[in-house]
Amino acid sequence: MYPESLRDSIAIVDATREKRKGEALPKLPGTETEGLLRRYHPDYREAGFRNLRIGANRGDRTTHEIADLLEAFSDLDHSKINLDPEFDTDVLVLGGGGAGVTAALFAESMGARVILATKLRLGNSNTIMALGGLQASVHGDDSPVRHFVDTLAAGKFTGKRELVKTMVEDGPAIVRWLLEIGVDFDRDEEGNLATRKAGGITAPRIISIGDYTGLNIMKVLKDEIRKGEGIEVMEFAPAVELTTNGFGECNGAVLFDLGRKRHFVVRARAVILATGGSGRLHLQGFPSSNNFGATGDAIVLAYRAGARLEGIDSFQYHPTGVMFPDHMVGVLVTEAARSLGGQLVNAQGERFINELETRDACSAAIIRECEEGNGVRTPSGKVGVWLDTPLIEETHGTGFLKRRFPSMYRHFMRVKIDISKRPLLTYPTLHYQNGGILIDETGETTVRNLFAAGEAAGGIHGRNRAMGNSLLDIFVFGRRAGLEAAKRKYNVPGNVTLGHVYRYYDRLKSLRISSVATSPTLFPEFIVSKL
Amino acid sequence: MKNSTKFIIVELEGRKIRIPQGLTVIEALWDTGYDVKRGIGCLSGLCGACTVAFIEKGSTKVKFGLGCQKVAEEGLNVIMMPCFPSRAARYAMEAMAHPLEELGAHYPELYTCNDCGACNVCPEWINVAGVMKFAKDGDYEAAASRVTDCIMCGLCASRCPRSIAPQYVALYIQRALARERPFPPNLAKRLAQVESLAYETEWSRIAAMGDDELKALCAAMEGL
Ligand SMILES: Cc1cc2nc3c(=O)[nH]c(=O)nc-3n(C[C@H](O)[C@H](O)[C@H](O)COP(=O)(O)OP(=O)(O)OC[C@H]3O[C@@H](n4cnc5c(N)ncnc54)[C@H](O)[C@@H]3O)c2cc1C
Ligand code: SF4
Ligand code: SF4
Ligand code: FES
Repeated sequence: MYPESLRDSIAIVDATREKRKGEALPKLPGTETEGLLRRYHPDYREAGFRNLRIGANRGDRTTHEIADLLEAFSDLDHSKINLDPEFDTDVLVLGGGGAGVTAALFAESMGARVILATKLRLGNSNTIMALGGLQASVHGDDSPVRHFVDTLAAGKFTGKRELVKTMVEDGPAIVRWLLEIGVDFDRDEEGNLATRKAGGITAPRIISIGDYTGLNIMKVLKDEIRKGEGIEVMEFAPAVELTTNGFGECNGAVLFDLGRKRHFVVRARAVILATGGSGRLHLQGFPSSNNFGATGDAIVLAYRAGARLEGIDSFQYHPTGVMFPDHMVGVLVTEAARSLGGQLVNAQGERFINELETRDACSAAIIRECEEGNGVRTPSGKVGVWLDTPLIEETHGTGFLKRRFPSMYRHFMRVKIDISKRPLLTYPTLHYQNGGILIDETGETTVRNLFAAGEAAGGIHGRNRAMGNSLLDIFVFGRRAGLEAAKRKYNVPGNVTLGHVYRYYDRLKSLRISSVATSPTLFPEFIVSKL
Repeated sequence: MKNSTKFIIVELEGRKIRIPQGLTVIEALWDTGYDVKRGIGCLSGLCGACTVAFIEKGSTKVKFGLGCQKVAEEGLNVIMMPCFPSRAARYAMEAMAHPLEELGAHYPELYTCNDCGACNVCPEWINVAGVMKFAKDGDYEAAASRVTDCIMCGLCASRCPRSIAPQYVALYIQRALARERPFPPNLAKRLAQVESLAYETEWSRIAAMGDDELKALCAAMEGL
């Protein structure tokens, strides 16, 4: 239920609805979008960034939070860790989200022995949280080429072309695989995969499973991984460091057993980093839509091992994260709410941006409104703008929101907010790490035998990811990484060492970099700002 | 912390304790120094990792919910539930011609369900007993269409006196149905096109383009 102070503001939204209904807000010309982004998008807020002083990306720009982690020592005493491998396997997959499980399944299908280690319970990941759907060019009016062009354009032409081409070309085939293992995508009357359009996409290309696409794919993947004998799953065992041999090639990882509170080593012929993104680093103090374990561990581990990163100064802030009630701050309100006519409205009851602009432009506009005093303040001092959900209900008929967005409807009903009658207070939420560890078409990083897939990997999406392309890339590159890693099973892994870590430490010391942070983060500090 | 914060008394994991109002159960645990990690995933009510059992003030009934969604109120008595063991069958679905017909072989306990309704504790408001009835009766489409929102929290299974794991039974049905559906014609067509290299000329045309030409092409496409 909304407190009185917010109810007054809602009254303004209600009173202006009729007037706003037919109002057409033109899209911004390119130059103006550029100006808006430069002024208000967090990626351009220079105070939030600095240049890295060490490592393969020395001189590159990234946020302070990430630079702190990359320039940090870890909080474990490496000299006290027993490096004798407790487990030995062909492929070690780190991370149990969509990319990790897919990689494990394909590696196993090639006859490799696989260990999959993950931080929390298997499947607790950003993948299960993906609501909207995934892009695949299956519609008659669409083509992989069109998908390619759309993806590059969304990424402001900074994505690597060969990676984008790989992703869009593999798209239809990876959807076939998902169907084969029993993912029940929504169909139209003729039995076709049902497709939808979305912002920045020029053909109907989003396929989905109701309101819960990622969850329903992940359920099937988890069921599938149980089937075989070839994959050993280790839950509650986050990776805290990679290991390398004398040639600097990756050959395993140090894991931390959360239950027993001890470290142990897994030796492998190839390692796949699929530990997802970094939303829980709360860059620049933003709320986040990400799961509890999304602390950017992959980039930290890979960087110390010498891997090159790509695009780590670019993040996606989803325009509509919840701002009230407090315990739901950061939770995503899906893009579809805007596609279906939900308007963004400031404290004066005015619209201020065409809601179908790209995510970064909408986010920048919301931040502008709030900075200019046109935002709405909650009792705990947070500021946001309204997303007029009752308007969607009015446009599409009574009962529409409950039908179309059952999960969102339910979540708010639990706190006695009926989204068909009351708008939602929203503000941009840190959503996606656009960059990551640079990979090639097989998923391999610049460190031999070290692969990356999913949100941890970089190079595909450029400076902005189009909706639905992440769920696609995790399966495409998860599969590719799994297949290629499996081929390394005849490798001689060599001695397990932390040589790269010591070299990195020496370098930090010689540069007189001293950092208060330790990394990887593993778990976010409880977000005390909420209190 | 603001001065206006109101405090309430709750019973957390068996201990009476004062917490600020407005926290979820998980936040309350963190706030009072519990190092909770195992029972946490998405913090958004989507992963089902954080199941809790609670009794509200003045109530005689034990209720169930999600710790990241349940906001603590004065007098709440709440504990986190451990991840409840549920039997999940192992099977290779691709090896079955008609997986729906084999449901009983993999989940024989389903047919001991006596519609007692004890499993109707679903935080996603699914009528679990109803779904199990559809499953028993062979109305698989009806069963599957009701469990899209199941987040696999396992609360239903923890209540079943017959050791049925409704979430896994339902997942089996969802997967089996998906496999038995005809292959989507639009996807079949696209796969054939890709296989016959139908896009090669376009690819080579694009490969030769610089960024500016590509940008122009994009702008043209947007207009379509
Ligand atoms: C709320 C939300 C909605 C979204 N909606 C969409 C959408 O509609 N369409 C779309 O395309 N994309 C969407 N995305 C983005 C997309 O879901 C993710 O980018 C994608 O699923 C990432 O998959 P992944 O396998 O790379 O990582 P994840 O699914 O996040 O999995 C990473 C796994 O690694 C584990 N892990 C983390 N650190 C370690 C460690 N040190 N050691 C071992 N394991 C570790 C984590 O616990 C987790 O299990 C959404 C994201 C969010 C948060
Ligand atoms: S059906 Fe069972 S496992 Fe699924 S969400 Fe409901 S209670 Fe949880
Ligand atoms: S609790 Fe068990 S026996 Fe009772 S209705 Fe549910 S599934 Fe059937
Ligand atoms: S933490 Fe995922 S449902 Fe509560």
